[in-house]
Amino acid sequence: MFVYAEGQFSPRHIQMNKGSGFRQGLSVAFRLGTELTVAIIIGAVIGYALDRYLGTKPWCLVVGLVMGGVAGCLNVYRIAKGITIDNDNHNPDGY
Amino acid sequence: MENPLHHFELHPIIHLSLMGFDISINKAVIAMWVGLAFVFGLFMLVVKNGVRLIPGKLQITAEIALGFIRDMVEEFIGKEEAHKYFPFIATLFFFVLACNLIGMVPGSYTITSQLVVTGVFAICIFVLTLLIGFLKHGFHFLSILVPPGVPKIMIPIMIPIEIISMIARPVSLSVRLFANMTAGHTILYVLFGLAMSTSLMIGWLPFGFTVAINGLEIAIAFIQAYIFTILTCVYIGDVIHLH
Repeated sequence: MFVYAEGQFSPRHIQMNKGSGFRQGLSVAFRLGTELTVAIIIGAVIGYALDRYLGTKPWCLVVGLVMGGVAGCLNVYRIAKGITIDNDNHNPDGY
Repeated sequence: MENPLHHFELHPIIHLSLMGFDISINKAVIAMWVGLAFVFGLFMLVVKNGVRLIPGKLQITAEIALGFIRDMVEEFIGKEEAHKYFPFIATLFFFVLACNLIGMVPGSYTITSQLVVTGVFAICIFVLTLLIGFLKHGFHFLSILVPPGVPKIMIPIMIPIEIISMIARPVSLSVRLFANMTAGHTILYVLFGLAMSTSLMIGWLPFGFTVAINGLEIAIAFIQAYIFTILTCVYIGDVIHLH
């Protein structure tokens, strides 16, 4: 049984830093994989749909795939950039 | 051997239809109700006993969980706006978590392993972010499609790329949760199938793995709920603070 003195306990005082690095790392790892794949798939689907609609097989699919790849890389780059900034701000000593 | 995806199949228990729509009650619907009731019941229990200055065990758990989510919301959405979105984010987290964890009970159903469910979550969040963006910034919201510092010549190329990465957000949000839950439960099924189909001499090995993967699955249930909500926060934060 835990007993907290009056005023001592507040959720904000509980620093969840212990597992924070691991948790953040896992969440990033789970994010990056899908982010890249999904962007490429979305680009391809949009390209394919445009091809069907405009009758320009296969050019829109090609452009869509490239655009999707670019978008995926851009997303991954942004996430990675966000992480480094985060680390600098919150964890000066790094982990 | 049975089909390893067999336990994801849904069969109506009570047949119902409303104006031509099939709204039959099946395992998934019941699992979702149980999840809702579990979250609701837990927090009602906390409130019913009275919120005390010196909290009991249950209240400590609830306070830590809510404080953790509040920190997350404040970090990604900003302190001024956080209180508006905190109830939504907290509800989302506990509901997804409850749904993931209920799937770990043998014989029950993991509703987050249905792409329909996670897809509807993600589409609702996507529409919500668009609404927030347009209500907050008006027509200026469309500038989210043009990242700052892009040369004018690049703008026609950047806009389709940004549109693709916008659309990719709800898709990756839903697919990630769905794929992780489905994959985990399929692995459990296959490993347990191996354990059951061999003699005890070798069977203990896959059985041991089943136990280990079970623990991993519980961790994944937490992590996936966490990722789902943290990304919702990131997306809402993105449309509130344009660049």
